[in-house]
Amino acid sequence: MAEKPRLKVPKEAKKGEVIEIKTLIAHIMESGQRKDKDGKIIPRKIINRFTCEFDGKPVFSADLEPAIAANPYLQFFAQVNESGTFKFSWTDDDGTVVTAEEKITVA
Amino acid sequence: MRISVLAAGVALALLGAGFAAAQSKPLPPLDTKGDAAARPWHRYSGWPTRDYSKFNTLAKLASPPAPKEPRKLDAPITGDPKHGAALVADRSRGGSCLACHVMGPAGGANLPGNVGPDLSEIGNAGREDEWLFNYVYDARVYNPETVMPPWGTHGLFNDQEINDIVAFLKTLKAPASFKTEVDNPEKRPPPVEKRANLDPMENPGMWAVEKAQAMYKTRTASGFSCYTCHTEPEKSFKAWAATMPKWEPRLDKVLGVEEFVTRHARATTGADWPMETAENRTMSVYLHYLANGATIDVDTANGPPKAAYMRGEELANRKLGQLNFACMDCHGKSADHWIRGQWLGEQRGQYDHFPTWRTSLQTVWDIRQRFQWCQVNIRADELPPDAKEYGDLELYLAAKNVGQKLSVPGIRH
Amino acid sequence: MRQVSRREIIVLSAGAAAAGFAWTSGAFADAKEAAEEIAKFTGGKTAEKGKIAIELPEIAENGNTVPLMVTVNSPMQDKDYVSDILVVSEGNPRPGVAHFHLTPMSGKAIASTRIRLAATQNIVVVAKTSTGQFFTDAKLVKVTIGGCGG
Repeated sequence: MAEKPRLKVPKEAKKGEVIEIKTLIAHIMESGQRKDKDGKIIPRKIINRFTCEFDGKPVFSADLEPAIAANPYLQFFAQVNESGTFKFSWTDDDGTVVTAEEKITVA
Repeated sequence: MRISVLAAGVALALLGAGFAAAQSKPLPPLDTKGDAAARPWHRYSGWPTRDYSKFNTLAKLASPPAPKEPRKLDAPITGDPKHGAALVADRSRGGSCLACHVMGPAGGANLPGNVGPDLSEIGNAGREDEWLFNYVYDARVYNPETVMPPWGTHGLFNDQEINDIVAFLKTLKAPASFKTEVDNPEKRPPPVEKRANLDPMENPGMWAVEKAQAMYKTRTASGFSCYTCHTEPEKSFKAWAATMPKWEPRLDKVLGVEEFVTRHARATTGADWPMETAENRTMSVYLHYLANGATIDVDTANGPPKAAYMRGEELANRKLGQLNFACMDCHGKSADHWIRGQWLGEQRGQYDHFPTWRTSLQTVWDIRQRFQWCQVNIRADELPPDAKEYGDLELYLAAKNVGQKLSVPGIRH
Repeated sequence: MRQVSRREIIVLSAGAAAAGFAWTSGAFADAKEAAEEIAKFTGGKTAEKGKIAIELPEIAENGNTVPLMVTVNSPMQDKDYVSDILVVSEGNPRPGVAHFHLTPMSGKAIASTRIRLAATQNIVVVAKTSTGQFFTDAKLVKVTIGGCGG
């Protein structure tokens, strides 16, 4: 997971507005079904969990399976009532966690 | 020796900048020796490995001639219609008949194509066995303009297999019954590409733009980078890729962007970016991207460019491979029809999106690899990516796309 | 693990059949595994048809990356919101696709991602609300067959 995740979060919103959030992380999402040239199974290695919190409160999360396509894309919504920070995390099968944040100003 | 070539190249470029107003620009430095792609050329892992040298390629004619007359059958056909039903649906036998024809219940009527007529009631059409046999064996004896592969002459099916297919065709006496409406090629809506190909959230091909911007400024051992001479790529290359491919007199061939990148990098910074490598593709995406919105406008007016275009046109109409298809059979005569579950695009409106991201392969393809794969798929030997024939073909294709605006990278299955 | 009763499979099947398509995705065993996955999620409770809109292409040009959007009709208020959305496949090697967890802060019960489809199949979606109700719907996706063979 070398690349920075890509995020689309509005920088501003009105109080009570429901905003759309798009997230994308580069990852092969190796399903564990493919075989290599010698016929051996290539071991599974996927992002299995995604979380989104706002100022520490859970907004949306997902448990992902190998049926999620490579470069996992997740789009969801969040209702914002005050300014704050969204925190995102992606967890790999091997335990590594990538995180990212986006601030939003709510008037 | 290399440093002096580089110094000369840089000096020329700097001189060129100064002379721009007074004289025509000097030619960009190019390595004119050697190949621009790996030799010997190997097919990609996962591609069929069969040798098709007994059939036409873009570089040579080799296919057996069409028969002058239909074959006479001594006796009525005896064949196994069940085996025939299996053969017409068998994708490993050159696409299978269902790629082009609806054939009643064959293959479960699962997404058949409609390049050719619906044969679901051919058993009622009053056709003689001999006619049916010969149509499959080599339809050219009845229709010299046919798109049908010569299944017999080119050794795709043997006589007994054709007998089995004919036996099956004779059982087809009722319209096909489709499980869902989209299975019916006449009712299937053509695909519409709605994805935002220039949105990096939608198209991983766009990530090449960022990578290329970094490569662009990375100095090689020579101490130079692209940036050394081209300090304003957004300005300098605002339309360049839309004028490619171009006739290159020093190489006596048409150069596309990918080959230009290889030879120009070798002659200037010394970067080693052979065609169809990740680096080459990344730069090609970037150079096309910089010209997005520019109108394709290639030179085919006079002299060698015009001759190259004429050669390209002949090549686009040459029957190739064991399946005996010309580019224009699919992308001209049969455009806007279904082969099996895939839509045959016409020759205009796809080139403007190359290089393109391919979702099924999770990688970027440039136009030369697209040419190669089409050939391998129709069972013709492909050429190396820098083959002069591909240059002629690409110039012809670009000429047919004059007026289209570049939008690169594309996104496709 | 509690066995899924025949009646529950039939209830789920009936829901799908009411949507107007047939089981075309191959061996019943795959639909059965999907049903087991769903039964784990619902604790055996019946999921009613309704409230769910599944956006999937009718034909996927390739099964490698197919866009999916699920929308559940819900007020998404503290007293009544969608807490979970389960996406299950009937034709992949394994039935699980994704399990989305939502909160009232989600604002809308919508989740979108890109999925892999091994072959033509039904994708089944089950939503759970904070009031303990379950809703379901399914959609058939044909994964296209390439034209040129190999």
